[in-house]
Amino acid sequence: MKKTHILAILVIAIAIGAIMTTVSDSSTYSNFSEAIENPGKEYHVVGQLDKEAELIYDPEVDANLFTFNMIDNKGDNHLVHFAGSKPQDFERSEQIVLIGKYENDAFQASKILMKCPSKYNEGQSGEMQEFTAETASS
Amino acid sequence: MDINYIGEHLWAGQLGQISIIIAFVSALVAAIAYAFGARNDAAFSDWKLLARSAFSLHIISVFSIIGTLLYMLYNGMFEYHYVWQHSNSEMPMRYIMSSFWEGQEGSFLLWLFWHAVLGAILLKTSKTWEAPVMSVFAMVQMFLVSMVLGINLGDVIRIGSTPFLLLREHPDFMNLPFLQNATYLDKLDGRGLNPLLQNYWMTIHPPTLFLGFASTLVPFAFAIAGLWKKKYTEWMKPALPWTFFGVMILGTGILMGGAWAYEALSFGGFWAWDPVENSSLVPWITLVGAAHVMVIQKNRGQSLIMTFVLTAASFVLVLYSTFLTRSGILGETSVHAFTDLGMSGQLLVYLLAFLFLAIGLLIYNWKHIPKSKDEDSLYSREFWMFIGALVLIISSFQIMFTTSIPVWNKLFGTNLAPPLDPIAHFNSFQIPLAIILSILIAVTQYFKYKKTDPQQLAKALTIPFLLSLVGTAAIGYFMHYTNIMYIVMLFTSLFLIIANLNYWLRVLKGKMKIAGASVAHIGFGMILLGAFLSTSKTQIISMNTSGTDVESLGKQGDFSNRENILMMKGDTLRMADYFVSYVGKRKEGVNVFYQVDYLTKTNDTYELAFSLYPRVQTNPRMGNIAEPDTKHFLHKDIYSFVTYAEVETEEAEEKPEEYKNTSTKQVAPGDTLFAGTAIVIFNGFEREVDAAEHGIQEGDIAVAASLTAIDISGKKYEVKPIYVIRDRMALPIPGELKELGLRFVLNKVIPEEGKAEIAVYEKPDNYREFIVMKAMIFPWINILWAGCLVMIIGTILAIRRRLKS
Repeated sequence: MKKTHILAILVIAIAIGAIMTTVSDSSTYSNFSEAIENPGKEYHVVGQLDKEAELIYDPEVDANLFTFNMIDNKGDNHLVHFAGSKPQDFERSEQIVLIGKYENDAFQASKILMKCPSKYNEGQSGEMQEFTAETASS
Repeated sequence: MDINYIGEHLWAGQLGQISIIIAFVSALVAAIAYAFGARNDAAFSDWKLLARSAFSLHIISVFSIIGTLLYMLYNGMFEYHYVWQHSNSEMPMRYIMSSFWEGQEGSFLLWLFWHAVLGAILLKTSKTWEAPVMSVFAMVQMFLVSMVLGINLGDVIRIGSTPFLLLREHPDFMNLPFLQNATYLDKLDGRGLNPLLQNYWMTIHPPTLFLGFASTLVPFAFAIAGLWKKKYTEWMKPALPWTFFGVMILGTGILMGGAWAYEALSFGGFWAWDPVENSSLVPWITLVGAAHVMVIQKNRGQSLIMTFVLTAASFVLVLYSTFLTRSGILGETSVHAFTDLGMSGQLLVYLLAFLFLAIGLLIYNWKHIPKSKDEDSLYSREFWMFIGALVLIISSFQIMFTTSIPVWNKLFGTNLAPPLDPIAHFNSFQIPLAIILSILIAVTQYFKYKKTDPQQLAKALTIPFLLSLVGTAAIGYFMHYTNIMYIVMLFTSLFLIIANLNYWLRVLKGKMKIAGASVAHIGFGMILLGAFLSTSKTQIISMNTSGTDVESLGKQGDFSNRENILMMKGDTLRMADYFVSYVGKRKEGVNVFYQVDYLTKTNDTYELAFSLYPRVQTNPRMGNIAEPDTKHFLHKDIYSFVTYAEVETEEAEEKPEEYKNTSTKQVAPGDTLFAGTAIVIFNGFEREVDAAEHGIQEGDIAVAASLTAIDISGKKYEVKPIYVIRDRMALPIPGELKELGLRFVLNKVIPEEGKAEIAVYEKPDNYREFIVMKAMIFPWINILWAGCLVMIIGTILAIRRRLKS
């Protein structure tokens, strides 16, 4: 077998490896009910802030805990714990993407992406913003 | 009914729009004329005049478009949507360029501008290559101009989005009542440039990045010309300096983006594997690959196909990157993608046209492209450079595949979301590849073309190898590296630097003229080393050190990670080697600066080491945004940003004696309430209330909440707010703790849940302002920035050498 062939096989093998890793590392866009069915598994859940419910962030108690309720796109409303500080202007958000898992009777978000409406153009969305929780450095 | 609007400058928009149309038509004419001229020399002399005139007219009209838009921005012509959207009358003029390219239309113009400049240079320098190369150039320009054409075909199809659209003609605004007023311009001011972009990075980063993007077109045009004219190898000589130029500028542009993110945004690092970052990194990687296979092609026939593929891929990937970031397809996955202007279809057509042009020409010429029959020797330089190029291809493939997840979802109807931890995901592939690549870069120069004596090779590499081992041991020991992967990474990046330094100083005898490759590689090694040291040893120093043990109080789950520090105004807390103190805040425009003093302590006296001013920008478009402040030392950076703070600076106008409601909570027995001076535990309800003391009458229903307050020194206080119901009226009797300046009101009793709603009132001087801050140390990050400079110098040396030969 020629060296070129060995190389070609190697490259293809690594490329397949890359595709497999991507697929296995990726998560899925989902909703609360699916996250509740598989506690501990990570999901992206898209929804809106429940503006009726209380938003609790008391940095004097715990600067790394923010709790709120979100209604997912299927209409389910659940408590969310975010292990980080409260994103500025969170009340104004019109769309939220939570990244995390369901555990201990609440959705534990490790990352929040939120979209706020632009102040100038009604109906036109502003830019997406990202907030990351303080994940443990291993 | 026509309204006669007053004060509009319609001529400016018309001039701009006419320039756009001329730019489009002249590019089309130039592309066709050059294509006819490319047939042979005789044809070229017939078509030369038309082609050159058309392209020159195109360049002039591109400048005219840009000049017009700048003039409109400079004079604040807010009747135009683009001017209104990206500037306002208060904006300092130094940001005029930033507002010019803030929007999509402006950034297309910037891209057109650089193509026009590069095209003008090529017009003069490409000699025999002029016709085919300029034909490709003109074709690309035609497509690009179409992105700002702004012409409607029927009701559905819109080609491009023009920056010269009047606000009152814009579909989102045309029906607004204020635009029906003939004098609407009198009161109109622009929306303004996003405050987040009002900094010098926004002035220097986009033009550099777009020059990088633009310079991938030059080798692409030469490669297409080579296939077209069946000069399969000759095209590389003029293309190579341009490829190096592209590597240098695009690399600088990408790293500038990283520096911007690090200096001005609170991402907590310089690289986050964000889709937008990735999509500009990938063309750079393939361009680096293209440059290297061009260098080896004269010694290796096999890589000719790869040269075409990589050169074409770099340009097509730039287009793909444009498609990803501007079509809105990244939507929910990226923080800084552009919003959709409804041009994704057009971008896709553009992308596929050039992709198929390259693939088609390559297939058409496949049989004629010379391929060497011989196998390369394992001991030849070209073999290992080829392997290096393969590693680059794998690297770029992996980054692109994951970044394209939203595209796969669209294509295959899947519902994949990007990796939860993108940094870990990409690192798991890219770090091993970087290790392999480092070794290849370290040793390959020591190989000779064709055949190398293994013994000589081993001898030449012994010293750099041993030196790197010693260096790894020393750094690994002092910086406490134990992870085997980290040690390997440390070794290979050191080996890369030392081997290339050794090659330059000992083999090339330190000559500058031919040092390009070695110096550029040293720079690349320093970038890897700096990135590795600073990210692997990033130390979060803002652990919670405030006196109160807040962890035992938190009832919610197990959030043990404490990376944010809470600082009361005036308190001094320990943070790593420093004592930090939050001094106060100050408002300047949209920014609120929080002064944090870093003190050192020697023999019980504090001394101010430095102050940092992280800020929160009250951005009207994006909400409040934290921007970091960093103290730079030679060997480390202390990087800090505010994660939570009050942005209002007005002092509360209240009389000092008055109590202020600071929190109201529903609590069950055993729950805790928090006040500025104490932690308060709700013990439960008490039915027995001293009627005489509190004036309870017969028939009243009274219940007391038993509270225990614990102050900072641990002293306990008891207090009992009472809830009385008299004649169906609620009459709460507050409980007061004068020593602590606290008052409690039992607002409500919820018998079915056994809960009480208690309001806490505090004297205003109890209440102290605070901020929550995160701070981290990035060690040795300066190696990374220095590496960028070294790489740029090395690339300039390489370009000079190629231009001379």
